[in-house]
Amino acid sequence: MTELGPLQALVDQLQRLPGIGAKGAQRLAFHLLRQPRDDVEALVGAIRDVKERITYCSVCHNITDADPCYYCTHDGRDRSVICVVEDPHNVAAVERTKEFNGAYHVLMGALSPLQGVGPDELRIKSLLDRVGRGEVAEVILATNPNVEGEATAIYLAKLLKPLGVRVTRIAMGLPVGSDIEYADDVTIHKAMEGRRDL
Amino acid sequence: MPLHAADALILRTYKLGEADRIVVFLTADRGKRRGVAKGARRTRSPFSGALEPMTRGRLAYFERERRELVRLRYVEPVCSPLASDSVEALAHVGYFAELIDEWAPEADPNEKLFRLGAAVVESLAAGLPVGPLARYFEFWLLRLQGVYPPVTACSRCGGDLSAGGRLEAGGGTLVCVQCAPPDEGGGLSAAAMAFLAAARAVAPLELGSVGLSAAADRELTRVHQRLIRTHLDKELKSLRVVQSLTRAPRGD
Repeated sequence: MTELGPLQALVDQLQRLPGIGAKGAQRLAFHLLRQPRDDVEALVGAIRDVKERITYCSVCHNITDADPCYYCTHDGRDRSVICVVEDPHNVAAVERTKEFNGAYHVLMGALSPLQGVGPDELRIKSLLDRVGRGEVAEVILATNPNVEGEATAIYLAKLLKPLGVRVTRIAMGLPVGSDIEYADDVTIHKAMEGRRDL
Repeated sequence: MPLHAADALILRTYKLGEADRIVVFLTADRGKRRGVAKGARRTRSPFSGALEPMTRGRLAYFERERRELVRLRYVEPVCSPLASDSVEALAHVGYFAELIDEWAPEADPNEKLFRLGAAVVESLAAGLPVGPLARYFEFWLLRLQGVYPPVTACSRCGGDLSAGGRLEAGGGTLVCVQCAPPDEGGGLSAAAMAFLAAARAVAPLELGSVGLSAAADRELTRVHQRLIRTHLDKELKSLRVVQSLTRAPRGD
Protein backbone atom coordinates (compact mmCIF):
# COMPACT_ATOMS: atom_id res chain seq x y z
CA MET A 1 0.00 0.00 0.00
CA THR A 2 1.27 3.52 -0.82
CA GLU A 3 1.56 6.27 1.77
CA LEU A 4 -1.88 7.53 0.61
CA GLY A 5 -3.40 4.12 1.26
CA PRO A 6 -5.57 5.18 4.24
CA LEU A 7 -6.95 8.13 2.24
CA GLN A 8 -7.74 5.88 -0.71
CA ALA A 9 -9.42 3.39 1.65
CA LEU A 10 -11.63 6.23 2.98
CA VAL A 11 -12.50 7.33 -0.58
CA ASP A 12 -13.40 3.74 -1.45
CA GLN A 13 -15.67 3.42 1.59
CA LEU A 14 -17.40 6.77 0.99
CA GLN A 15 -17.99 5.86 -2.62
CA ARG A 16 -20.08 2.92 -1.48
CA LEU A 17 -22.65 5.32 0.01
CA PRO A 18 -25.77 6.02 -2.07
CA GLY A 19 -25.54 9.08 -4.29
CA ILE A 20 -21.76 9.48 -3.77
CA GLY A 21 -19.61 9.19 -6.86
CA ALA A 22 -15.83 9.06 -7.19
CA LYS A 23 -15.35 12.85 -7.18
CA GLY A 24 -17.79 13.41 -4.34
CA ALA A 25 -16.08 10.71 -2.26
CA GLN A 26 -12.70 12.34 -2.84
CA ARG A 27 -14.05 15.77 -1.89
CA LEU A 28 -15.55 14.37 1.34
CA ALA A 29 -12.33 12.51 2.18
CA PHE A 30 -10.22 15.66 1.82
CA HIS A 31 -12.81 17.60 3.84
CA LEU A 32 -12.53 15.08 6.68
CA LEU A 33 -8.74 15.26 6.47
CA ARG A 34 -8.90 19.00 7.06
CA GLN A 35 -11.32 18.76 10.03
CA PRO A 36 -10.16 18.87 13.68
CA ARG A 37 -9.58 15.43 15.18
CA ASP A 38 -12.50 15.89 17.66
CA ASP A 39 -15.00 16.51 14.86
CA VAL A 40 -13.90 13.40 13.01
CA GLU A 41 -14.03 11.36 16.24
CA ALA A 42 -17.60 12.64 16.82
CA LEU A 43 -18.59 11.51 13.31
CA VAL A 44 -17.01 8.08 13.79
CA GLY A 45 -18.76 7.78 17.19
CA ALA A 46 -22.13 8.73 15.69
CA ILE A 47 -21.77 6.12 12.94
CA ARG A 48 -20.76 3.46 15.48
CA ASP A 49 -23.67 4.42 17.79
CA VAL A 50 -26.17 4.07 14.97
CA LYS A 51 -25.01 0.52 14.30
CA GLU A 52 -24.78 -0.45 17.97
CA ARG A 53 -27.83 1.27 19.49
CA ILE A 54 -30.45 1.52 16.78
CA THR A 55 -32.68 -1.51 16.52
CA TYR A 56 -36.18 -2.33 15.29
CA CYS A 57 -39.24 -1.92 17.51
CA SER A 58 -40.67 -5.34 18.32
CA VAL A 59 -44.23 -3.94 18.05
CA CYS A 60 -44.29 -1.69 14.97
CA HIS A 61 -40.89 -2.53 13.34
CA ASN A 62 -39.89 1.14 13.16
CA ILE A 63 -36.26 1.96 13.91
CA THR A 64 -35.68 2.92 17.55
CA ASP A 65 -33.04 3.17 20.26
CA ALA A 66 -35.47 1.80 22.88
CA ASP A 67 -37.73 -1.20 22.36
CA PRO A 68 -40.74 -0.71 22.22
CA CYS A 69 -40.35 2.62 20.44
CA TYR A 70 -41.60 6.10 21.40
CA TYR A 71 -44.73 5.85 19.21
CA CYS A 72 -45.72 2.52 20.78
CA THR A 73 -45.25 3.65 24.40
CA HIS A 74 -45.91 7.40 24.71
CA ASP A 75 -49.17 8.19 26.55
CA GLY A 76 -49.94 11.08 24.22
CA ARG A 77 -50.27 8.82 21.15
CA ASP A 78 -53.63 7.38 20.13
CA ARG A 79 -52.91 3.68 19.68
CA SER A 80 -56.40 2.94 18.39
CA VAL A 81 -55.31 4.31 15.00
CA ILE A 82 -52.45 2.62 13.14
CA CYS A 83 -50.80 4.15 10.11
CA VAL A 84 -49.23 1.43 7.94
CA VAL A 85 -46.16 2.52 5.95
CA GLU A 86 -43.60 0.71 3.80
CA ASP A 87 -40.33 1.89 5.34
CA PRO A 88 -39.07 3.59 8.52
CA HIS A 89 -38.30 6.83 6.65
CA ASN A 90 -42.01 7.06 5.74
CA VAL A 91 -42.72 7.44 9.48
CA ALA A 92 -40.49 10.51 9.55
CA ALA A 93 -42.35 11.94 6.53
CA VAL A 94 -45.78 11.52 8.18
CA GLU A 95 -44.47 12.90 11.49
CA ARG A 96 -43.22 16.06 9.75
CA THR A 97 -46.84 17.01 9.01
CA LYS A 98 -47.75 17.04 12.76
CA GLU A 99 -51.24 15.98 11.63
CA PHE A 100 -51.12 12.38 12.84
CA ASN A 101 -51.06 11.39 16.49
CA GLY A 102 -51.58 7.63 16.24
CA ALA A 103 -49.30 4.61 16.14
CA TYR A 104 -47.41 3.14 13.19
CA HIS A 105 -46.73 -0.19 11.60
CA VAL A 106 -43.76 -0.55 9.25
CA LEU A 107 -44.11 -3.34 6.69
CA MET A 108 -40.44 -3.21 5.68
CA GLY A 109 -41.32 -3.08 2.00
CA ALA A 110 -44.22 -3.60 -0.36
CA LEU A 111 -45.46 -6.49 -2.48
CA SER A 112 -43.16 -6.48 -5.49
CA PRO A 113 -43.39 -9.37 -7.94
CA LEU A 114 -40.51 -7.97 -10.00
CA GLN A 115 -38.24 -7.97 -6.93
CA GLY A 116 -39.59 -11.31 -5.71
CA VAL A 117 -41.09 -9.72 -2.57
CA GLY A 118 -44.28 -11.50 -1.51
CA PRO A 119 -46.49 -11.39 1.61
CA ASP A 120 -44.13 -13.70 3.49
CA GLU A 121 -41.33 -11.14 3.26
CA LEU A 122 -43.40 -8.34 4.83
CA ARG A 123 -44.38 -7.70 8.47
CA ILE A 124 -48.02 -8.55 7.90
CA LYS A 125 -48.66 -11.21 10.53
CA SER A 126 -47.65 -8.90 13.39
CA LEU A 127 -50.03 -6.22 12.02
CA LEU A 128 -52.89 -8.73 11.99
CA ASP A 129 -51.97 -9.78 15.54
CA ARG A 130 -52.05 -6.14 16.73
CA VAL A 131 -55.42 -5.49 15.13
CA GLY A 132 -56.74 -8.86 16.26
CA ARG A 133 -56.25 -7.91 19.93
CA GLY A 134 -59.26 -5.61 19.50
CA GLU A 135 -57.76 -2.29 20.63
CA VAL A 136 -57.52 -0.82 17.14
CA ALA A 137 -60.40 1.15 15.59
CA GLU A 138 -58.81 2.29 12.32
CA VAL A 139 -55.94 1.26 10.09
CA ILE A 140 -54.69 3.87 7.62
CA LEU A 141 -52.92 2.30 4.64
CA ALA A 142 -50.18 4.78 3.70
CA THR A 143 -48.20 2.69 1.24
CA ASN A 144 -46.77 4.45 -1.82
CA PRO A 145 -49.17 5.44 -4.64
CA ASN A 146 -47.64 3.10 -7.21
CA VAL A 147 -48.45 -0.41 -8.47
CA GLU A 148 -46.56 -2.10 -5.61
CA GLY A 149 -48.00 0.13 -2.88
CA GLU A 150 -51.50 -0.13 -4.30
CA ALA A 151 -51.30 -3.94 -4.51
CA THR A 152 -50.07 -4.03 -0.90
CA ALA A 153 -52.88 -1.77 0.29
CA ILE A 154 -55.60 -3.80 -1.44
CA TYR A 155 -54.10 -7.04 -0.13
CA LEU A 156 -53.98 -5.70 3.45
CA ALA A 157 -57.53 -4.33 3.21
CA LYS A 158 -58.76 -7.82 2.28
CA LEU A 159 -57.11 -9.26 5.39
CA LEU A 160 -58.03 -6.45 7.80
CA LYS A 161 -61.71 -5.87 6.97
CA PRO A 162 -62.88 -9.25 8.34
CA LEU A 163 -61.32 -8.25 11.69
CA GLY A 164 -64.00 -5.56 12.03
CA VAL A 165 -61.67 -2.57 11.87
CA ARG A 166 -62.13 0.58 9.78
CA VAL A 167 -59.63 0.47 6.89
CA THR A 168 -58.78 3.70 5.06
CA ARG A 169 -56.35 4.55 2.25
CA ILE A 170 -54.46 7.85 2.02
CA ALA A 171 -55.72 10.09 -0.79
CA MET A 172 -54.06 10.01 -4.20
CA GLY A 173 -54.11 12.76 -6.76
CA LEU A 174 -52.82 16.22 -7.55
CA PRO A 175 -49.97 17.68 -5.51
CA VAL A 176 -50.68 21.00 -3.77
CA GLY A 177 -49.64 23.94 -5.95
CA SER A 178 -49.78 21.99 -9.20
CA ASP A 179 -51.92 22.63 -12.29
CA ILE A 180 -54.63 20.24 -13.51
CA GLU A 181 -53.72 21.08 -17.10
CA TYR A 182 -50.32 19.43 -16.71
CA ALA A 183 -51.42 16.39 -14.71
CA ASP A 184 -51.49 13.00 -16.43
CA ASP A 185 -54.70 11.00 -16.95
CA VAL A 186 -54.01 8.46 -14.22
CA THR A 187 -53.43 11.15 -11.60
CA ILE A 188 -56.60 13.02 -12.55
CA HIS A 189 -58.54 9.72 -12.56
CA LYS A 190 -57.30 8.91 -9.04
CA ALA A 191 -58.00 12.47 -7.86
CA MET A 192 -61.60 12.27 -9.15
CA GLU A 193 -62.03 8.84 -7.60
CA GLY A 194 -60.85 10.14 -4.20
CA ARG A 195 -62.92 13.36 -4.23
CA ARG A 196 -64.62 14.39 -1.00
CA ASP A 197 -67.64 16.41 0.09
CA LEU A 198 -67.09 20.04 1.09
CA MET B 1 -28.47 13.65 -30.86
CA PRO B 2 -31.79 12.75 -32.59
CA LEU B 3 -35.09 12.72 -30.71
CA HIS B 4 -37.23 9.62 -31.26
CA ALA B 5 -40.93 9.47 -30.39
CA ALA B 6 -42.59 6.08 -30.02
CA ASP B 7 -45.47 4.13 -28.58
CA ALA B 8 -44.02 2.11 -25.72
CA LEU B 9 -44.68 -0.14 -22.76
CA ILE B 10 -42.76 0.48 -19.56
CA LEU B 11 -41.36 -2.83 -18.29
CA ARG B 12 -39.42 -1.97 -15.14
CA THR B 13 -37.29 0.70 -13.52
CA TYR B 14 -34.19 0.77 -11.34
CA LYS B 15 -33.13 3.55 -8.98
CA LEU B 16 -30.19 5.60 -10.24
CA GLY B 17 -28.38 8.05 -7.96
CA GLU B 18 -30.44 10.35 -5.75
CA ALA B 19 -33.40 11.20 -7.96
CA ASP B 20 -33.15 9.40 -11.31
CA ARG B 21 -34.33 6.09 -12.68
CA ILE B 22 -33.14 3.71 -15.35
CA VAL B 23 -36.20 2.69 -17.35
CA VAL B 24 -36.54 -0.50 -19.39
CA PHE B 25 -39.22 -0.09 -22.06
CA LEU B 26 -40.48 -1.87 -25.14
CA THR B 27 -41.13 0.33 -28.16
CA ALA B 28 -43.38 -0.66 -31.02
CA ASP B 29 -40.78 0.19 -33.67
CA ARG B 30 -37.35 -0.28 -32.11
CA GLY B 31 -37.76 -3.11 -29.63
CA LYS B 32 -36.57 -3.05 -26.01
CA ARG B 33 -34.52 -0.06 -24.90
CA ARG B 34 -33.02 1.24 -21.68
CA GLY B 35 -32.92 4.89 -20.77
CA VAL B 36 -32.39 7.38 -17.97
CA ALA B 37 -35.34 9.39 -16.67
CA LYS B 38 -33.73 12.36 -14.92
CA GLY B 39 -35.45 13.44 -11.72
CA ALA B 40 -38.05 10.66 -12.01
CA ARG B 41 -38.06 9.98 -8.27
CA ARG B 42 -38.90 13.58 -7.33
CA THR B 43 -42.50 14.19 -6.19
CA ARG B 44 -43.16 16.75 -8.93
CA SER B 45 -41.34 14.91 -11.66
CA PRO B 46 -42.95 15.21 -15.11
CA PHE B 47 -42.71 11.41 -15.29
CA SER B 48 -44.81 11.00 -12.08
CA GLY B 49 -46.98 7.85 -12.44
CA ALA B 50 -45.96 7.18 -16.04
CA LEU B 51 -43.09 4.83 -15.17
CA GLU B 52 -45.10 2.09 -13.47
CA PRO B 53 -44.60 -1.37 -15.02
CA MET B 54 -46.90 -2.16 -17.98
CA THR B 55 -47.89 1.48 -18.44
CA ARG B 56 -48.56 2.07 -22.10
CA GLY B 57 -47.71 5.52 -23.34
CA ARG B 58 -46.20 7.81 -25.90
CA LEU B 59 -42.62 8.62 -25.07
CA ALA B 60 -39.69 10.49 -26.55
CA TYR B 61 -36.01 9.88 -26.04
CA PHE B 62 -32.64 11.15 -27.18
CA GLU B 63 -30.19 8.62 -28.52
CA ARG B 64 -26.47 9.14 -28.67
CA GLU B 65 -24.02 7.14 -30.73
CA ARG B 66 -22.20 4.31 -28.94
CA ARG B 67 -24.28 4.89 -25.79
CA GLU B 68 -26.43 1.98 -24.67
CA LEU B 69 -28.61 4.17 -22.43
CA VAL B 70 -30.92 6.66 -24.11
CA ARG B 71 -32.23 9.73 -22.29
CA LEU B 72 -35.98 9.92 -21.78
CA ARG B 73 -37.49 13.32 -22.54
CA TYR B 74 -41.10 12.60 -21.56
CA VAL B 75 -43.65 9.80 -21.14
CA GLU B 76 -47.34 10.51 -21.68
CA PRO B 77 -49.33 7.58 -20.25
CA VAL B 78 -52.21 6.33 -22.39
CA CYS B 79 -53.23 3.31 -20.32
CA SER B 80 -52.08 2.46 -16.81
CA PRO B 81 -52.44 -0.72 -14.76
CA LEU B 82 -53.10 1.54 -11.77
CA ALA B 83 -56.67 1.81 -13.08
CA SER B 84 -57.14 -1.75 -11.85
CA ASP B 85 -58.28 -2.31 -8.28
CA SER B 86 -57.68 -5.99 -7.64
CA VAL B 87 -54.57 -7.34 -5.94
CA GLU B 88 -54.42 -10.28 -8.38
CA ALA B 89 -54.39 -7.90 -11.35
CA LEU B 90 -51.75 -5.62 -9.81
CA ALA B 91 -49.58 -8.62 -8.90
CA HIS B 92 -49.78 -9.91 -12.47
CA VAL B 93 -48.55 -6.54 -13.77
CA GLY B 94 -45.05 -7.45 -12.58
CA TYR B 95 -45.41 -10.97 -13.96
CA PHE B 96 -46.35 -9.73 -17.45
CA ALA B 97 -43.57 -7.15 -17.38
CA GLU B 98 -40.97 -9.72 -16.32
CA LEU B 99 -42.08 -12.15 -19.04
CA ILE B 100 -41.78 -9.51 -21.77
CA ASP B 101 -38.46 -8.31 -20.36
CA GLU B 102 -37.08 -11.85 -20.41
CA TRP B 103 -38.25 -12.69 -23.94
CA ALA B 104 -37.64 -9.41 -25.75
CA PRO B 105 -34.05 -8.99 -26.92
CA GLU B 106 -32.52 -5.49 -26.79
CA ALA B 107 -33.18 -3.23 -29.80
CA ASP B 108 -34.89 -5.99 -31.79
CA PRO B 109 -38.24 -4.66 -33.08
CA ASN B 110 -41.19 -6.95 -32.40
CA GLU B 111 -44.42 -5.10 -33.05
CA LYS B 112 -46.59 -8.15 -32.36
CA LEU B 113 -45.12 -8.54 -28.87
CA PHE B 114 -45.70 -4.84 -28.23
CA ARG B 115 -49.31 -5.13 -29.38
CA LEU B 116 -49.83 -8.18 -27.16
CA GLY B 117 -48.52 -6.32 -24.10
CA ALA B 118 -50.55 -3.21 -24.92
CA ALA B 119 -53.76 -5.23 -25.38
CA VAL B 120 -53.20 -7.07 -22.11
CA VAL B 121 -52.71 -3.89 -20.07
CA GLU B 122 -55.83 -2.43 -21.69
CA SER B 123 -57.77 -5.54 -20.67
CA LEU B 124 -56.39 -5.38 -17.11
CA ALA B 125 -57.47 -1.75 -16.83
CA ALA B 126 -60.91 -2.73 -18.15
CA GLY B 127 -61.26 -5.17 -15.26
CA LEU B 128 -61.14 -8.48 -17.16
CA PRO B 129 -60.59 -11.59 -14.98
CA VAL B 130 -56.87 -11.95 -14.59
CA GLY B 131 -56.65 -15.79 -14.72
CA PRO B 132 -57.84 -16.23 -18.33
CA LEU B 133 -55.93 -13.09 -19.32
CA ALA B 134 -52.68 -14.48 -17.90
CA ARG B 135 -53.14 -17.82 -19.70
CA TYR B 136 -53.97 -15.94 -22.91
CA PHE B 137 -50.86 -13.78 -22.52
CA GLU B 138 -48.61 -16.79 -21.87
CA PHE B 139 -50.11 -18.69 -24.82
CA TRP B 140 -49.53 -15.82 -27.27
CA LEU B 141 -46.13 -14.87 -25.89
CA LEU B 142 -44.90 -18.46 -26.27
CA ARG B 143 -46.53 -18.70 -29.68
CA LEU B 144 -44.89 -15.50 -30.92
CA GLN B 145 -41.54 -16.84 -29.73
CA GLY B 146 -42.18 -20.05 -31.66
CA VAL B 147 -42.07 -22.35 -28.65
CA TYR B 148 -45.76 -23.24 -28.26
CA PRO B 149 -46.44 -26.60 -29.93
CA PRO B 150 -49.28 -26.83 -32.50
CA VAL B 151 -52.58 -27.11 -30.62
CA THR B 152 -54.91 -28.46 -33.32
CA ALA B 153 -53.39 -31.81 -34.35
CA CYS B 154 -51.47 -34.53 -32.52
CA SER B 155 -47.79 -34.38 -33.47
CA ARG B 156 -47.63 -38.18 -33.73
CA CYS B 157 -50.83 -39.41 -35.41
CA GLY B 158 -52.22 -36.09 -36.69
CA GLY B 159 -55.46 -36.74 -34.82
CA ASP B 160 -57.73 -34.01 -33.45
CA LEU B 161 -56.65 -32.55 -30.07
CA SER B 162 -60.01 -31.02 -29.15
CA ALA B 163 -60.79 -33.96 -26.81
CA GLY B 164 -57.60 -33.28 -24.85
CA GLY B 165 -53.86 -33.67 -25.15
CA ARG B 166 -50.62 -34.01 -23.30
CA LEU B 167 -47.35 -32.09 -23.48
CA GLU B 168 -44.54 -34.58 -24.07
CA ALA B 169 -41.70 -34.81 -21.59
CA GLY B 170 -39.28 -32.82 -23.78
CA GLY B 171 -41.83 -30.00 -23.89
CA GLY B 172 -41.71 -29.68 -27.65
CA THR B 173 -44.93 -31.32 -28.82
CA LEU B 174 -48.55 -31.92 -27.88
CA VAL B 175 -49.90 -35.41 -28.44
CA CYS B 176 -53.43 -36.76 -28.28
CA VAL B 177 -54.78 -38.91 -25.44
CA GLN B 178 -54.32 -42.14 -27.47
CA CYS B 179 -50.64 -41.41 -28.26
CA ALA B 180 -49.77 -39.98 -24.83
CA PRO B 181 -47.52 -42.06 -22.58
CA PRO B 182 -49.38 -42.99 -19.37
CA ASP B 183 -49.38 -40.25 -16.71
CA GLU B 184 -46.32 -38.17 -17.53
CA GLY B 185 -47.97 -34.94 -16.41
CA GLY B 186 -48.67 -31.98 -18.70
CA GLY B 187 -52.20 -33.12 -19.47
CA LEU B 188 -54.70 -30.73 -21.02
CA SER B 189 -58.42 -31.50 -20.84
CA ALA B 190 -61.00 -30.76 -23.53
CA ALA B 191 -61.92 -27.57 -21.63
CA ALA B 192 -58.31 -26.37 -21.69
CA MET B 193 -58.01 -27.16 -25.41
CA ALA B 194 -61.27 -25.27 -26.04
CA PHE B 195 -59.81 -22.22 -24.28
CA LEU B 196 -56.68 -22.40 -26.44
CA ALA B 197 -58.82 -22.68 -29.57
CA ALA B 198 -60.78 -19.59 -28.51
CA ALA B 199 -57.59 -17.73 -27.53
CA ARG B 200 -56.28 -18.18 -31.10
CA ALA B 201 -59.29 -16.34 -32.47
CA VAL B 202 -60.27 -13.56 -30.08
CA ALA B 203 -58.70 -10.33 -28.83
CA PRO B 204 -57.96 -10.17 -25.08
CA LEU B 205 -60.79 -7.67 -24.51
CA GLU B 206 -63.22 -10.36 -25.72
CA LEU B 207 -61.94 -12.92 -23.21
CA GLY B 208 -64.86 -12.14 -20.90
CA SER B 209 -67.06 -14.29 -23.12
CA VAL B 210 -64.60 -17.23 -23.10
CA GLY B 211 -65.01 -19.55 -20.15
CA LEU B 212 -62.06 -21.04 -18.26
CA SER B 213 -62.78 -23.40 -15.37
CA ALA B 214 -60.47 -23.48 -12.36
CA ALA B 215 -59.31 -27.00 -13.32
CA ALA B 216 -58.51 -25.99 -16.91
CA ASP B 217 -56.73 -22.88 -15.60
CA ARG B 218 -54.51 -25.09 -13.40
CA GLU B 219 -53.71 -27.44 -16.32
CA LEU B 220 -52.77 -24.56 -18.61
CA THR B 221 -50.71 -22.91 -15.85
CA ARG B 222 -48.72 -26.14 -15.35
CA VAL B 223 -48.07 -26.60 -19.08
CA HIS B 224 -47.20 -22.93 -19.67
CA GLN B 225 -44.85 -22.77 -16.69
CA ARG B 226 -43.12 -25.93 -17.93
CA LEU B 227 -42.62 -24.36 -21.36
CA ILE B 228 -41.41 -21.07 -19.85
CA ARG B 229 -38.99 -22.84 -17.48
CA THR B 230 -37.63 -25.04 -20.25
CA HIS B 231 -36.95 -22.15 -22.59
CA LEU B 232 -35.78 -19.51 -20.11
CA ASP B 233 -33.88 -22.09 -18.08
CA LYS B 234 -34.94 -20.41 -14.82
CA GLU B 235 -37.90 -19.60 -12.59
CA LEU B 236 -39.43 -16.15 -12.84
CA LYS B 237 -39.06 -14.06 -9.66
CA SER B 238 -42.57 -12.69 -9.97
CA LEU B 239 -44.22 -16.11 -10.32
CA ARG B 240 -43.57 -17.08 -6.69
CA VAL B 241 -45.13 -13.81 -5.50
CA VAL B 242 -48.16 -14.15 -7.78
CA GLN B 243 -48.70 -17.69 -6.46
CA SER B 244 -48.21 -16.68 -2.82
CA LEU B 245 -50.86 -13.96 -3.10
CA THR B 246 -53.46 -16.65 -3.56
CA ARG B 247 -52.39 -18.41 -0.34
CA ALA B 248 -53.24 -17.42 3.25
CA PRO B 249 -50.59 -14.98 4.58
CA ARG B 250 -47.95 -16.05 7.03
CA GLY B 251 -45.94 -12.77 7.33
CA ASP B 252 -42.97 -12.05 9.61
